[in-house]
Amino acid sequence: MDRQLKVGIGDMKLTRGQGEIITYALGSCIGIAFYDPVLKLGALLHIMLPIRQNKDDANLLKYADTGLAETIRKLTAFGMVKSRAIVKIAGGAKMFEISGNANFGNIGERNAQTVRQILQRDGFHIRAEDCGANYARTMSLDVATGDVVIKTFGHPEKHL
Amino acid sequence: MRIKDYSEMNLQDLDVMREIGSIGTGHAATSLSQMLQKEVRITIPQVKILGYDEAIEAIGGNIEEIVGATLVKMDGDINGLMLFLFNLEFANTIFDKMMGISYAGFEQMDAMAHSALTEIGNIIICSYVNAFTELVDMNISLSVPSAAVNMLGAILTVPIAEYGYETDKLMYCSADFVIDGKTYNDWLLMLPDISSLNRILEKLGVG
Repeated sequence: MDRQLKVGIGDMKLTRGQGEIITYALGSCIGIAFYDPVLKLGALLHIMLPIRQNKDDANLLKYADTGLAETIRKLTAFGMVKSRAIVKIAGGAKMFEISGNANFGNIGERNAQTVRQILQRDGFHIRAEDCGANYARTMSLDVATGDVVIKTFGHPEKHL
Repeated sequence: MRIKDYSEMNLQDLDVMREIGSIGTGHAATSLSQMLQKEVRITIPQVKILGYDEAIEAIGGNIEEIVGATLVKMDGDINGLMLFLFNLEFANTIFDKMMGISYAGFEQMDAMAHSALTEIGNIIICSYVNAFTELVDMNISLSVPSAAVNMLGAILTVPIAEYGYETDKLMYCSADFVIDGKTYNDWLLMLPDISSLNRILEKLGVG
């Protein structure tokens, strides 16, 4: 593995050929990995909230709607073909459960729903996902193979 | 409303919050001291307004570090969250002093240990909030505590996501506990939403 790209919160990285793209500690956030196996082109997006409400907010990648649009736009510019794209998502956990307050911390679930809706609307098929529950996930995409690895605390490593 | 974002707080506002933080942490230390039957001191509290990455940096720098956390939701005159974070060293000190046991890692802890940590966090948060409400004369009701042991980065995104549409910043108040002459790092975050923050500052005459 010659290079590793780190994706922060509300951030996206893409690369081609070889290398690894990684994002740490997805809680209620969602990591979305796109991969085109023919071009060996991969991208990893880390969104935090479902919809951009404030149109003045310059951080497009923080939100599912604008973040996905921006990522897909960039990938398309790099030659990604939609029908070949392999999409995998992870995250959307509920870190804290407050009894008697079911609404609190549902942001993870809302994030996951929004991401699924947008991907479906745009004609992307989600190949695999690891969402929900109450623990954090570190997600990485190997651009040479398209392998997505999910690491957690107290659960076995998972390949999507 | 005077302030629209945490980052708009000026030095005077921060001083006021530091003072309150100092009183709150003092009460929390007293509770801890009673529980442990040991002398507990606190270092001078710091109040900082930090973004997510800076907060990770301030708390230890490792986003994947496993920490324990207790979270309590505030409702009433102030809406927001209280988050108490501690590392393994702090947890073990508590266990050692209270029950004479210690653990090699968070994963070794059983349900009993988790429940004890939740309660410690809850007591610290409650004494902090009680001191605070007395001072500002406001009514705050607290939810039952919720606890998590997981990656620091994911726990910190909880308040960030909760207020993500309002602000990118967190108000972070930290005072280290000194138990038997040894300093332990822990982090108490009081996170009022923006309108509550304005009410607090107004109430204290700086708003």
